[in-house]
Amino acid sequence: MGAALSISSLFGKLFGSKEVRILMLGLDAAGKTTILYKLKLNQTMTTIPTVGFNVETFTYKNIKFNMWDVGGQDKIRPLWRHYYSGTQGLVFVVDSSDHARIDEARTELHRILNDLEMSDCLLLVFANKQDVTGAMDPQRITDKLELHKLKDRPWFVQPAIAIEGEGLTEGFGWLSDNIKKMPKYGGK
Amino acid sequence: MASAHQALPILTRANSAAGYANGAALHHQRSLSTVPSPRSAEMSQNARPARSPQPPDGDWPSNPSAKSKTSSQHSSLSAGAQRRHDPAARRPPKLRSQYPRNSTENHVEYILVASFDIDRGPVMEHQYPIAITGDGHMLAELMLPDQAHVRNQDWTIFFLHKDTSQEEDDAERRAREERRARRLRKRDRAQGVIHESDDEEEGGDLDEDWDDDVSTDSEPEGGEGPPLVYVLNLVNTKQDKTVKRGAVVKAMAICTRHPFLHIYKPLLLLALEEYFKAPVPETLAMLFEAVNQMDLSLMPKLSVLERHLLQSSDNKDLFVEKFEQMIQARIAEETGEDVADQPLDASQTPAKRPGIFRSGTKEHIQTHAAYVVPRDTHEFESKVMYKGIPIPIKVPVAVMPEIVGDFSLIKLIQNFSDAHAKSPQTFPLHPHLTTNGPNTHPIIVLINALLTQKRVIFLGHNMPSGDVAEAVLAACALASGGILRGFTRHAFPYTDLTKIDDLLNVPGFIAGVTNPTFEHHPEWWDLLCDLSSGKMKISSKIEAAPITEGLVYFQQQNPAYANLVYSSSGSGSSSNNDLTGDAAFMADILRSIATRAGERVIRSKWRAWVLKFTRIAAAFEESVYGASALYIGSDEHEANMTGPGGHGYVWADEATKAKELAGNVTRIEGWRNTRSYYSFIQDVAKLYTIRPLKGLDLAHMHDRLRTQRLTPMQSKEIYDTLAKYVHTYDEICLLLGVMPESHAGLFYLALGLFHKDRDVRVGTADLLERIAEHDAGQHWWRALSRFEKLAYVRIKREAEAEAGAGAMVTNKAQRGVAGQHDRERDGGGLSPVDSNNHNKRIS
Repeated sequence: MGAALSISSLFGKLFGSKEVRILMLGLDAAGKTTILYKLKLNQTMTTIPTVGFNVETFTYKNIKFNMWDVGGQDKIRPLWRHYYSGTQGLVFVVDSSDHARIDEARTELHRILNDLEMSDCLLLVFANKQDVTGAMDPQRITDKLELHKLKDRPWFVQPAIAIEGEGLTEGFGWLSDNIKKMPKYGGK
Repeated sequence: MASAHQALPILTRANSAAGYANGAALHHQRSLSTVPSPRSAEMSQNARPARSPQPPDGDWPSNPSAKSKTSSQHSSLSAGAQRRHDPAARRPPKLRSQYPRNSTENHVEYILVASFDIDRGPVMEHQYPIAITGDGHMLAELMLPDQAHVRNQDWTIFFLHKDTSQEEDDAERRAREERRARRLRKRDRAQGVIHESDDEEEGGDLDEDWDDDVSTDSEPEGGEGPPLVYVLNLVNTKQDKTVKRGAVVKAMAICTRHPFLHIYKPLLLLALEEYFKAPVPETLAMLFEAVNQMDLSLMPKLSVLERHLLQSSDNKDLFVEKFEQMIQARIAEETGEDVADQPLDASQTPAKRPGIFRSGTKEHIQTHAAYVVPRDTHEFESKVMYKGIPIPIKVPVAVMPEIVGDFSLIKLIQNFSDAHAKSPQTFPLHPHLTTNGPNTHPIIVLINALLTQKRVIFLGHNMPSGDVAEAVLAACALASGGILRGFTRHAFPYTDLTKIDDLLNVPGFIAGVTNPTFEHHPEWWDLLCDLSSGKMKISSKIEAAPITEGLVYFQQQNPAYANLVYSSSGSGSSSNNDLTGDAAFMADILRSIATRAGERVIRSKWRAWVLKFTRIAAAFEESVYGASALYIGSDEHEANMTGPGGHGYVWADEATKAKELAGNVTRIEGWRNTRSYYSFIQDVAKLYTIRPLKGLDLAHMHDRLRTQRLTPMQSKEIYDTLAKYVHTYDEICLLLGVMPESHAGLFYLALGLFHKDRDVRVGTADLLERIAEHDAGQHWWRALSRFEKLAYVRIKREAEAEAGAGAMVTNKAQRGVAGQHDRERDGGGLSPVDSNNHNKRIS
């Protein structure tokens, strides 16, 4: 019994089944909940506005992701900060076709990243809804969100079509690789 | 968070708006400061001094001894003799309705509707009849609980601290002063003082003073502020392809000051459905009218002593007479008989009229009687007509403080016991919480946390928010036992992150949440109770318990037991032996649940636990500090009494006492200086002013009979005292209260029938006779064994034979014997009174 336990914990160390907390934020109707359930269940769910939050756990590339999806209406955005503590990665979802609110999205993103509790976390941006005509490309999203201003923080912009599941594995592939490099995770 | 902050200013006293329960923070300073509250400033002199307080002076407004005997209360014990044959004193007080027909007070004060706007989040849609608060957003957030989008339906409960307006306050004060003046006039007149204005208000109700302060439906709030507004909320999520983003989320809430808010559940279900069809204020108005038409006027009002009895009894017939009398009075009123002048007392009960039946009986169904006596006297049955459909409603008759809504202690206890039984939890040590060491039962950890005013969170991830709210309400009831207060007022049955800043302003809260983020913030709570896993967690950031004077004194005074006291280093041996008795208690509770004991039984056992805790705390304070404000009456006894003195909790011997105190020191010290401690002191003082038999600790005497080996002389003293002083209706209520049916009932009292001293036997028989004639006491009498009843009959016969010419006694004894034969056939017991008419009085 004791031996079995120690072996399984050894495997845990080797293959990193440690849980990683990921926070997914973005303006309302950006597609956060759709991404969450596409990743968790690999199927497209018809989602409705999130009252409060959703949280799901799934394993990808031997990493156990504990992923939080928090409602995005502007009145409830002040609650985001309560989810910061202990977060290792931020997934920020943008509706690439929503030109009118891209500046609003930038403001919110930088407000999150400026919080002390988020200073060590990775940033993955999903430039979602690439299938909509007139959607901004990843480069344009990068510029609009002023990501080049970020220093000492690994970030990555991934074009995506959440309802098709396109781009999601690529995005989480980047996230997994970078998480393994984090000091907390036993990386270099 | 700006919106939540703005919610706070509306809680100030000058403003008549409402605030969310977090506003409780405003009351804390007050309740923790030395003067408990401005409202009960007169009380503070009794409540504060460390020395056992003197009884309040005689002109305290609600003093039944003053009303019944016109003498100062100090003579209340010596008056027994002259009351012995005063039938009036044996009668129950005049009956009144809990919710009179002519009352202007609404059952429900507001109806609210909120929805989740896809652009703006939670918004308030309508408030009826007027806006309860200007900050609808704050309420709307609470009405749309986290994850409402993943279930079709969910219930939540939350409390509002709505201050009464200045005018309401004034009106209430004027009414109180008027009643007080009337009482004083009445008393003066009884003493021969004549007032010019005596003619007016002749019909003034003398009994009013009894319940004016203690047993009105607005419980004494300990000066913590006006009664809470309880909100029951239903939220529905409807998938709808035709709307943008595919769903509509709407919530409807009922705001009431009655703690039995759960009765409105079926109505909210219907009304919210209706609102989805017709989202207009008229839909709210229709519900508002319907619920406020509900007729509860035939529900009798019980005194505080009667409520205690009903609450701790499982008997479905207890006080059934009161329901019958209410109906008789109503029928008489309707048939035009003049009953206004006749006091409604049991001795004048007319022969039972046809047409008054118990609900659910054959007669009731056959006759379609207009009025019906409930099948269980714990619940009054009524109905609400909504859209022409009669919705049956059951309202609890005896409402105790801190008992809000519908919950199950059994469910709460099982939730945390089952997981503990499978894999026992080891807690990090904390002197206030883990009183039985690292393996303290989680439920004991929970009650310790509540008593010592820790921040407690119930987390139910992926559970309906109604379930976590229920757990919070159950926890409040667990710690209160209907005895202690200050829990519901600081409870947040359902809350979420939007209110976190306000929540953290409350020292010692009990909150229910569904968002697991709370678990990631151990700085927010002291004890986290995870409902899904059944595990509890003591926060890594919990404040250490200070070393207090009381603890040090105790160790100095009892060097032999000093090492038993819990030390923060964990070296105390309290973990090994069950010093507190809690392990045995929990085993008993779990056994009771396993053998399918009902919710009422479990509640009454917890009530006994809480009562015991307060009595042990009083004994601890007296031994360590020399005095305690947790018990009043010891001075009274010394001043006026002959017979056995003594008060407080009874132990078999000194060593047992020292051990049990040692086990309790840390949590008692943690309880001192909490809200529930201070409000208990106030309640003790307040109850003292209205209770009969001041200076006699009936519980103490009963405990001595129960637990100690007494010499015949010692037990004679106790039996003689009981027989001498317990006469009136209220006195018997008080006596029955210390001998609940579930705890041997009259057994130890009836042992007096077998005492070697003849006077004791006769005295006990007389007392039992008085009890058997008592509205409530008859049920206790019936539970006595045949052996005891036979002894009673024999003693009565002997006494009669010796007295020779006592005609009255002869009749009674014969009746007793006759009853014996009747009952034998019925399979029932013996009765000293005519069993066919239990209301009949012997005068």
